[in-house]
Amino acid sequence: MGVATASAVVHDLDFELELVERHRCGDAQAFDEVYTRFAEMVYNLAFRLSGNCEEASDLMQEVFLRIYRHLGSFGGRSSLKTWIFRIAINHCRDRLSRWRPLTQPIGEDVEEGEVSYADPRRGPEELAVAADEGRRVTAGLARLPQTFREAVLLRDIEGLSYEEIAEVLGVRIGTVRSRIARGRDQLRALLET
Amino acid sequence: MNRHLSTEQLSSYLDGEIGSSKAERIEEHLDTCPACRGRLEAMERLVSGLQRVQRPSLPPDLAAAVRRRIAAAPEPYGASGPYGFLRRLQLHLSLLSEIALRPAFRTSAAMGLAILFSVFLLNNGLEHAHHTAPALDEPTTVVTVQTYFGQPPLDLPPTTSEVAGREFVWFDGRWIQRGLEGKKPESHVMAESPEGRAMLSKYADLDLLLADGTPVVLRYRLATVELSGS
Repeated sequence: MGVATASAVVHDLDFELELVERHRCGDAQAFDEVYTRFAEMVYNLAFRLSGNCEEASDLMQEVFLRIYRHLGSFGGRSSLKTWIFRIAINHCRDRLSRWRPLTQPIGEDVEEGEVSYADPRRGPEELAVAADEGRRVTAGLARLPQTFREAVLLRDIEGLSYEEIAEVLGVRIGTVRSRIARGRDQLRALLET
Repeated sequence: MNRHLSTEQLSSYLDGEIGSSKAERIEEHLDTCPACRGRLEAMERLVSGLQRVQRPSLPPDLAAAVRRRIAAAPEPYGASGPYGFLRRLQLHLSLLSEIALRPAFRTSAAMGLAILFSVFLLNNGLEHAHHTAPALDEPTTVVTVQTYFGQPPLDLPPTTSEVAGREFVWFDGRWIQRGLEGKKPESHVMAESPEGRAMLSKYADLDLLLADGTPVVLRYRLATVELSGS
C-alpha cells in the first residue's frame, strides 16, 4: 500500500468515525451522509442476493434501520463499508432463508426486474447487446449457490479485496479464495450452457 | 511447473491476490501452456462481463421509505436505548467519585454508595434484569443470543458469520459461548491487543457483543479465552 493510499485510508477512517460520533450526538445529517454513500451499494447487494426489486427494497429498508440502530457501536476496527456489507449480508441471509427455502433457486423474475442498463453514450444496438449480456450474467449469478454468489458479487461487482471479503463474510482468506474461484468456474459453466 | 494450473491459482493470479514468487511460476507455466492461457482468458472475459453489469437504479421513493421506517423506530441513543443506560451509569459513577473525594463525606461514603446503587438498580433493574447479579440460591438468568430467532437482549443484532455458529449466553455478567458456562477462562485477552485484534478480525461480530463493555468468553485455539474491551 503506497503512502498516498495509506493516508487516504486513515482519512476515510477519521471521517467515518466523525460521522459515527455525529450520529451518536443526534445529528440527523450524519446518517443522511451514510445513506447517500452506501445506499446504492446496499441496494445492489440486496437485489443480487434476492433477485427481486421488491424484496430488495424491503431488505434495503431493514438493513438501513439496523445500521441506524447500531451505527453508534461502530468502533473503526474495519472500514464502515465492510461493516455495512457485513450487516447487509447477514440480514439478507437471515431474511431470505425465512422468505424461501434455501434450496429454491432465486432470480426467476430477474429477467423482469426493473434494472436499468441505460447509458446515453451507447447506440441502440450496443445497448441491446449490453442489456442482454447483463441479463444473462445476472440470471447466471442468481443460479449460483449462495456462498459462491456472495463471494463473486463482493469481488467482481463490488470490487472488494480478498481481505475485505474475509472480514465481511467472517471467514478466512483461503475460504474466500476458494469460493471466488469455484463461483467463477460454476458461473462460466452456467453461461456456456 | 508441469501440471496444469488449478482454477484457484488462475483466479487468485487474475486478482493479483497471490505472492510474487508464485505469480512468477504461474507466468512461466502460462508462457508454455495454451490450455491454461485459454482458461485464464475465459476467466478474464467472465470477470470483465461481471464488472460491466450495470447496477440497478435505486427506486426514487426508497430514501423516503427508509426515513419513514427510521422515524417509526425507537431512538437508539435515547433514554431507553443502550447508550442511555451507559450514560446514566456514567453519571452515577461520577457522582460517587465526587463524594469520595470530599473528606467530610468519607465516613458516609459507604452509605452513599449503597443508596446510589439502590437508586441505580431501581432505575435500571427491571429494564435490564438480565444484567443484575443473580441471588445465590436463585438460578442464574440465561439469555440466549441466537443467530436468527427471537429478540436478542440489549438490541443486539443477530449474527450470522462463523461466530453465529456459536451460541452465546448471558451468564454471570459475561457473554459466554454455550457449553463453557462456569468454566474458568485459561487466558484473558484485551480487544486492543494484537491477539485481541486477530480474534476480532477472525470473528468480526464479536465486537457487537463487546459493544456495551462486557467481556466475552469463548473457545479460541483450543483454549477458553475471556476477551474484553479496553
